[in-house]
Amino acid sequence: MSRIDVLNGNKAAAWGAALSRPDVIAAYPITPQTPLVEYLTQFVADKELDCVMSEVESEHSAMSVLTGASLAGSRTFTATSSQGLALMYEPYFRAATLRLPVVMAIVNREMISPQTVWGGPQDSLTLRDAGWIQIYCEDNQEILDMIIQAYKIGEDPRVLLPVNICYDGFYLSHLSERVEIPPAKLVDNFLPPYQPKHIKLDPQKPMAVDPLTTGDLLMDYRQKHLRAQQNALEVLKEVTIAFQQQFGRDYFGAVEEYRLEDAEIVLVSLGSMTGAIRDAVDLKREQGVKVGLLKIRLLRPFPLLDVQKALGNKKIVGVIDRNVSFGHNSGILYQEIRGALFGLAKPPNVKPFIGGLGGEDLRVDDFGKVIDQLKDNIDGMPVPYWILRKKR
Amino acid sequence: MKIVDYLQSCEEIISPGISACIGCNVELTLRTVMRVLGSNTIFAVPPGCMGGVGVVGWNKKSGAKAPVFFPLLDNVASMLSGVKAHYQRQGTAVNVVAFAGDGATVDAGFQCLSGACERGDNIIYICYDNEGYMNTGYQRSGSTSKGSWTSTTPVSADGKGGKKQHKKNFPLLMAMHDIPYVATMSPAYIQDMVQKVKKAMAVKEGLSYLHILNPCLTGWGIKTEKSIEACRLAVETRYFPLFEMENNKFTLSRKISKPKPLEAFLRLSKKFSHLSSAEIQDLKDNVNLNWERLQALCSA
Repeated sequence: MSRIDVLNGNKAAAWGAALSRPDVIAAYPITPQTPLVEYLTQFVADKELDCVMSEVESEHSAMSVLTGASLAGSRTFTATSSQGLALMYEPYFRAATLRLPVVMAIVNREMISPQTVWGGPQDSLTLRDAGWIQIYCEDNQEILDMIIQAYKIGEDPRVLLPVNICYDGFYLSHLSERVEIPPAKLVDNFLPPYQPKHIKLDPQKPMAVDPLTTGDLLMDYRQKHLRAQQNALEVLKEVTIAFQQQFGRDYFGAVEEYRLEDAEIVLVSLGSMTGAIRDAVDLKREQGVKVGLLKIRLLRPFPLLDVQKALGNKKIVGVIDRNVSFGHNSGILYQEIRGALFGLAKPPNVKPFIGGLGGEDLRVDDFGKVIDQLKDNIDGMPVPYWILRKKR
Repeated sequence: MKIVDYLQSCEEIISPGISACIGCNVELTLRTVMRVLGSNTIFAVPPGCMGGVGVVGWNKKSGAKAPVFFPLLDNVASMLSGVKAHYQRQGTAVNVVAFAGDGATVDAGFQCLSGACERGDNIIYICYDNEGYMNTGYQRSGSTSKGSWTSTTPVSADGKGGKKQHKKNFPLLMAMHDIPYVATMSPAYIQDMVQKVKKAMAVKEGLSYLHILNPCLTGWGIKTEKSIEACRLAVETRYFPLFEMENNKFTLSRKISKPKPLEAFLRLSKKFSHLSSAEIQDLKDNVNLNWERLQALCSA
């Protein structure tokens, strides 16, 4: 029997991690991830969680400890935010290119400058090309469930890649919601222990890890890494179905479509803003506007075909970015969506929206205005369209 | 058993084909410590000379008979902490060892090494100190001695320049972490080296740290046949004292009651050849300061 509790996002993540039975956790506290580290250390102190807890001196060491532990054969977990992820970049990239199925929660926080601690996925989106799988969550149940699924996906022999479970700082990390905590036995059945076959530091079977490698062989490794990313699209679908069968909650795969079937206008979302967009869509539907929502769950690998299928025959698409892509005059998700739709016979008219940076709220009425703009005056809209509440 | 016979009886872990410079005393050090450590060892060789000469290997070939890997320059200790965490959890005894240069140790990797000391992670950290980034042509490091010519602390045409700061007293810095074992070693004193590696292996809780001074023939400008002589003179002039700290007790391994003049050591290396008598005196003062500090710790 699942246990029903009221959990904030960080505690949901802690439960997801604990139920996955990691052997080694190494983490360094940073706002807004800090409570997650506190919950995990408390779990260990209370013997609810049996693992090595390495209290490292930095995020760089957190990822480095996990890289070493995973190379030796451990299942590993960590979490960070913004500047911590930036400090971690060196071993972060390497965990992916070493093909180690580390799982890391990223409690999304805006990047400085100026000094800021509030939510937004600028941190992880900026690192989208570092070889990890990146999954973005809408609510706290999804955080818990996706951490369990992350191990199942990352450790699959067809994938063998590290996985980020990303969720917005404060909006989810500090928001309390109803969450079902599945029984440990059920999770154990779903997620058997990690048994690495591809790489292992073991005196019984000596192996040199990362000898100096020439370009021809390096390209072979990169080809396999790209293939593994593509394999993850299929594996995620399988895991979604298996999870739904065993736990009863359906996450629909790489993307989730909401009231899309007859929609002419579609908003594309990522992360916690999705709930407000659902409400805005419902309100506009009551007014007869044919509007729908496409929630992107999986950013890496990018679900190209799913996006083409969902948006290819639509007229108008508005992409909402809680981040920027410097040099492109838009957000990062907009670039991804434009790229996916490029070359279609009759691609939709795709427009970039930016808002909610530095933890600014994105409300139902903001999305109502976005829908109005797309419906009534798409040719006259500024590009990008900044969702601002105060005039400056 | 004689030390030569003992080492002969140990398995050679390092491949015969690695490509260090002729007369390299780091290669001798690595082969010696790895013979003592044996095959039940996982070791990390970060970017630096020993990585560059192929100890981790080339393409799909390994340079060692024990599991070996390239950590990053700045995460040697923390990657090893993770490896050790896995084996401790499994209940399997295995030596988890760093063989890292001074750049990876006293500069870029210091933060994570300090963290591993403070946490008490059970790893053996060996630093081969050749006083700079030698694998890339001798750039200065925090362990380069004052006055040294390096490619980034050059000497002008009229003979002025070199590094402006004294080297970090890194072995003492490590000792102040209150780790269970710290020792300095020299390729000129192999028996001492073997004993100290064995003591480091016997430590089952906490980090043991071994620091070796390895004068670099190509970087410092030392004649090939003077390789071991330079190592020995560094000890005999008190430039690099051999000592150990075992459970907070400091002991001199060589008393050196009548030190040879520092010039005897300096004149073997081209990197000191431009030094004025005032600059040499400055180095001597620093040698004396560090010696007296160590004496005080040993008599405490």
